[in-house]
Amino acid sequence: MTKGFLNRLLPAGALALAGALTLSASAWADTIKVGIIGPFSGPFALQGKNFQAGAEAWLAQNGKTVAGHDIELVYRDLPTANPQQARALAQELIVRDKVQYLGGVYFTPDAMAITPLLKQGNVPLVIFNAATSAIMNSSPLVVRTSFTLGQTTTPLGKAAVERGVKKFVSIVSDYGPGVDAEGAFKKAIEAAGGEVKEAIRIPLNTTEFSPIMQRIRDAGAEGVFAFLPSGPPTLGFVKAFSDTGLKKAGVKLFAPGDLTQESDLPALGEAAAGLITSFHYAVSHESEINKRFVAAAEKAIGAPDLLSFPAVGAYDGMFVISKMIAATAGKQDAEKAVEAVKGLGWESPRGPVKIDPETRHITQTIYLREVAKDAQGRWINKEIASVPEQKDPGLAK
Amino acid sequence: MQTALSIAMDALAYGMALFIICIGLSLTMGLMRVVNLAHGAFAMIGGYIASYAARDLGLGYAFAIVLAMIGTVIIAVPLERLLYRRIYDRSELSQVLMTIGITFCVIGITNYFFGPTLKTIPLPAELARSVDLGFRSIAGHRLFVIASGLVVAGGLWFLIERTGFGIHLRAAVENAPMARTLGIRTEIIYAASFALAIGLAAFGGVVGAEFLPIEPYYALRYMVTFLVVVSVGGAGSIAGALAACLLLGAIDVTARYLVPDFGNFFFYLAVILVVCAFPRGLMGRAQ
Amino acid sequence: MASGMPVPASTGRTLGRDLLGLALIALVGLAGYWLFPDNLAFLTRVISVALLVLSLDLIVGYCGIASLGQGALYGAGAYAAGIACVHGVTDPVLLILIGAAAGAVMGLLMGAIMLRAHGLPQLVLSIAIVQLLHEAANKASSITGGSDGLSGMSPAPLFGLFEFDLWGRSAYLFGLGLLLIVFAVLRFVTRSPFGMVCRGLKEDPLRISALGIYAFPVLLKMFVISGTVAGMGGALAAIATQVVGLDSVSFEVSANALVMLVLGGIGHLYGALIGTVIFMALEHIVAAINPFHWMTLVGAVLIAIVLFAPRGLSGTLDELARLLTRDRWRAGR
Repeated sequence: MTKGFLNRLLPAGALALAGALTLSASAWADTIKVGIIGPFSGPFALQGKNFQAGAEAWLAQNGKTVAGHDIELVYRDLPTANPQQARALAQELIVRDKVQYLGGVYFTPDAMAITPLLKQGNVPLVIFNAATSAIMNSSPLVVRTSFTLGQTTTPLGKAAVERGVKKFVSIVSDYGPGVDAEGAFKKAIEAAGGEVKEAIRIPLNTTEFSPIMQRIRDAGAEGVFAFLPSGPPTLGFVKAFSDTGLKKAGVKLFAPGDLTQESDLPALGEAAAGLITSFHYAVSHESEINKRFVAAAEKAIGAPDLLSFPAVGAYDGMFVISKMIAATAGKQDAEKAVEAVKGLGWESPRGPVKIDPETRHITQTIYLREVAKDAQGRWINKEIASVPEQKDPGLAK
Repeated sequence: MQTALSIAMDALAYGMALFIICIGLSLTMGLMRVVNLAHGAFAMIGGYIASYAARDLGLGYAFAIVLAMIGTVIIAVPLERLLYRRIYDRSELSQVLMTIGITFCVIGITNYFFGPTLKTIPLPAELARSVDLGFRSIAGHRLFVIASGLVVAGGLWFLIERTGFGIHLRAAVENAPMARTLGIRTEIIYAASFALAIGLAAFGGVVGAEFLPIEPYYALRYMVTFLVVVSVGGAGSIAGALAACLLLGAIDVTARYLVPDFGNFFFYLAVILVVCAFPRGLMGRAQ
Repeated sequence: MASGMPVPASTGRTLGRDLLGLALIALVGLAGYWLFPDNLAFLTRVISVALLVLSLDLIVGYCGIASLGQGALYGAGAYAAGIACVHGVTDPVLLILIGAAAGAVMGLLMGAIMLRAHGLPQLVLSIAIVQLLHEAANKASSITGGSDGLSGMSPAPLFGLFEFDLWGRSAYLFGLGLLLIVFAVLRFVTRSPFGMVCRGLKEDPLRISALGIYAFPVLLKMFVISGTVAGMGGALAAIATQVVGLDSVSFEVSANALVMLVLGGIGHLYGALIGTVIFMALEHIVAAINPFHWMTLVGAVLIAIVLFAPRGLSGTLDELARLLTRDRWRAGR
C-alpha cells in the first residue's frame, strides 16, 4: 500500500519538480530587465507617469517578448534632480537587479551622474527626456530618443520673421535647457534677419510674472520668445501675458512646445489660444500610428488629459531597446547594442525619425503648432507646418 | 515714473495676496504658539475645493470661496482635535516634525485623488476683465485681492482688539491657567481661532491662486515663503504681517523687474538684513 | 529635565563604553558591506548624510539652536571638493580636507549671522542663508555648473590603490573609516569641558553667563566644528558620486536632515546615526516597493513618531532599557 502510493507519487512529483525547474530556468535565462529611472513622485510626477505610460503602451502593442526574450521593467523613483541619488539608483539597478538596459532620466544632472557607470556596468542608457546637448559627449553608450532645446527652437526663428515679427525679448528659466533655448533662438532669429533686443533669465520657481511683462512693454518688443519648464511657471506666464494686456496689444508669443504641453492646456485654456510653438510631438498628430499609440498610452496612464510628450520619448526608447535586444540576441553587450541602433530609422508616432550615427541623438521632424480647439472642443496643439530631418544643432560639428 | 507706479501696483497686489494667506499662520504661531508648517496645505485644500466647485460643478466664484472656507475648516477641525491639540505644549521641533508629516500626507492624498496637474479656479467676468487705471491696465482680479487684503486686516484688528472674543483670546494667550480660572473656556477659544486661521488660509489659497497656482506641491513649494514672511513680520502681529508682506512683496517684485536673473537672491538677502536688524520681527512682541 | 546631563562616571568606564560604541558602528558598517554588497552606492550616501545629521546634532542637540539650513555647510564642502577635483586636485584624502575647510569657513559665517537672533527668527535666518547660497551657486554657473550640476571629476584611487568604481567598495569603506574617525573625535569634543559649556548654554544660559562665560565665541566654535563635519560629508558625496548638484545646498536637504535627527533623537550622537539609517532605509524601501505614493507613508510615520516616540527612537530605546533594568534614578525623576 505504502509502496504503491510512493510509486504513484514519485513520478508525479519528479515530473512536477522537473517542470518547475525548467520553467524557472527558462524564465531566469530569458528575462531581460530594463531599469527605468524617472520622477514618479514629487512635483514632476506627471512626467514620470508619462514615461511609464509610454513604455507600457509599447509593451501592450508589441508584447512582453522580444526575439524570444521576456522583458521586465524595473521602475526607480527619482523625484527631483539629485545626482547623488541617481548614481545610487543606477548602481543598484546594474549591480543588484542585473538590468541589461537603463532608460528614462528626466533631468540633466542625473544623466551626468549615471553616464560614468555605463562602461564598467556594460549597460547602455537610453534617455527618454534629459535634454541638454552635452550629455551625449559624456559616454559613447548613451542614446537619446527625446529632443534638445536647440533642435525644437531653431525653426522658430524663420517662422517668426515670416510672420513679420522681428524685434524680440527672450525670456528663459535660468538653467541648462533654458540657456540652450536662448542661445539657439538668438542664432536662429539673427540668421533669419531679426534680433533679440533683450535676453532675460528668470529663476526656475518664478510664478508671478507681472514685473517681467512690464519689462517686455518697456523694451518695445514686437515678439516674445519664452522657455519655461511646464507646470506652475508656465501657467503663470501665459496668464500674465494675457492679463497685462500684452496679448491684446498685439505682441506675439513664440515658444518651444514645453510651454503648451497637452496636460497643461485645459488649465491654460483661452489664455493660450493662438500661441505659436515648435516641438517634436503633439498628442493630436494626425497619423494612424499615433492614433494607436495614443489609445494605448491613454489606457496606461488612466486619464486622457494627462498624456504629453515624455510618453513618446519612452515609447520610442522602448523601441530602440527592443532593437538592441534583438541585435545582441539577449546577451549583455553594451557596445554592440549601441552600434546596432546607430543609423536606425523608423516611423514613430511623432513622424519619421532616425538615430544619428555620429551623435546617437534622434533626428526628427519639428512641427510648428498653434493652440486651437479641435472638433470636440478640446484644446490641442494644431500642427500648421513641419520642418523635416532636424538634427541637434548643439551637437552638429 | 509710469513704470514705477506700475511696479508698485503689482507689488501691492502680490503683497496683499501673501498677506491673506499668511495672516492665519501668523495667528497660529503668535497667539497659539504652534509652528504650523502645514498651513500652506490648508490653503491648497481650499484651492482644490474652490476649483472643484467652480470648474466642475459650475458654481459661482463667491459661492466657491465660501464653500472652500467651510470645507477646509470641516477637514481641519478633526485634525485639530486629534493631532494639533497634542503638540500645543511641545517643543518647536516636535511641531515642525508633525506638521511636515501632515503636509506630506496631504500632498500624497491630493496627488492620489486629483492627479498632479494644475487646477484653475475660473474667475467671474467682472474680475477677469482688465481695468484701465490710466497709466496701465490691470486685471480686475488684482484689485479684488488688494481690497480683500484690506478688509481682512481691518476685520481681524477689530475682532482681536474690540470684541469679547478678542479679549478672551488675548487673555488665553497671555496666561492660560489664569484665564481658565476666570471661567474662559480656553479649549474652545483655541479651537475657534484655529478654525479662523484655517478659514483665512483657505480664503487666501483661493483668491491668491492667480499668483500661486494650485497643484499638489503647493504646500511644500511655498512653505518656506510663508514661514519667512510671518517671522519677518513678527508672529502674532497683524500690522507686522501686513508690513512684512508689503515690504518683501515689493522687494521681490522690484528685484524681479530690475535683476530677474538673480532670482530670489535679494529676497533672502533682505530677509537676513531685516532679521539681523529686528531680531524679534518687524513688530514682534518680547518673548 | 528628564535627560541631557550625562551621568558622571569614571574616565576608564567612559573610554570603555566609547570603544564599545565605535566597535559596534564598525561592526554594523562591515555587516552592511557583507550583507548588501550590491547596495554600496546607497550605503555610501547614507554615510555621507549621517555626517550631515551628526553635524546638525552638534548645533541642535548640544547648543539648542534650531537650524533648517544645514545644507549650506554640506553644500559648501561638496562644491569645494568638486571644484578642486575638476581643477586637478584628485587625492581623495586631500579633497575631504578641502571640503572640511570650506565647511568650517561657511560654519563661521553662518554662526556669526545666526547667533544674532533667537528662536523662530533664528530658524528663518538659517533658511534664508541656505536659500541665498542656493541662488548664488545657480548664478555662478561658470564655476559650479549651475543647475546642470558640476561634473567631470575623476578622483584618484585611494592611497593610489583603491579605485572609485561602479561597485563602490572603496568609496564605502573610505566613508565608513571617515565616519568612525569623526564619531570618535565628536565623542571626545562633546564630553570635553567645551562640550559641557555648550550643553549648559542650552539648558540654562543664565547660570552659565553668571559663571562669567560669554556665550557667543563658544557657540561660534561649535558652528565651526559642525561646519567641518558637514563639509566632510559633502566632500564624501562629491567623491563618491563624481557629480555635485544644486540639491546639495538646498532647503530640502536641510529639512530632511532635521527630520532624521529628530527621528533618531537629539542630543546623543547615536541618535543621529540611528535616525539617518532608519529614515533613509525606510524611504529607500518604500520608494522601491511603490515609487508612486511613498510620500503619504513617510508623512504618516513622522506623525506617529511625534505622537508615540516624542524623544526620538534612541530616546525611546533608552526609556525601554531603563524600564527593563529598573534603573529609575538615572532618569532623574
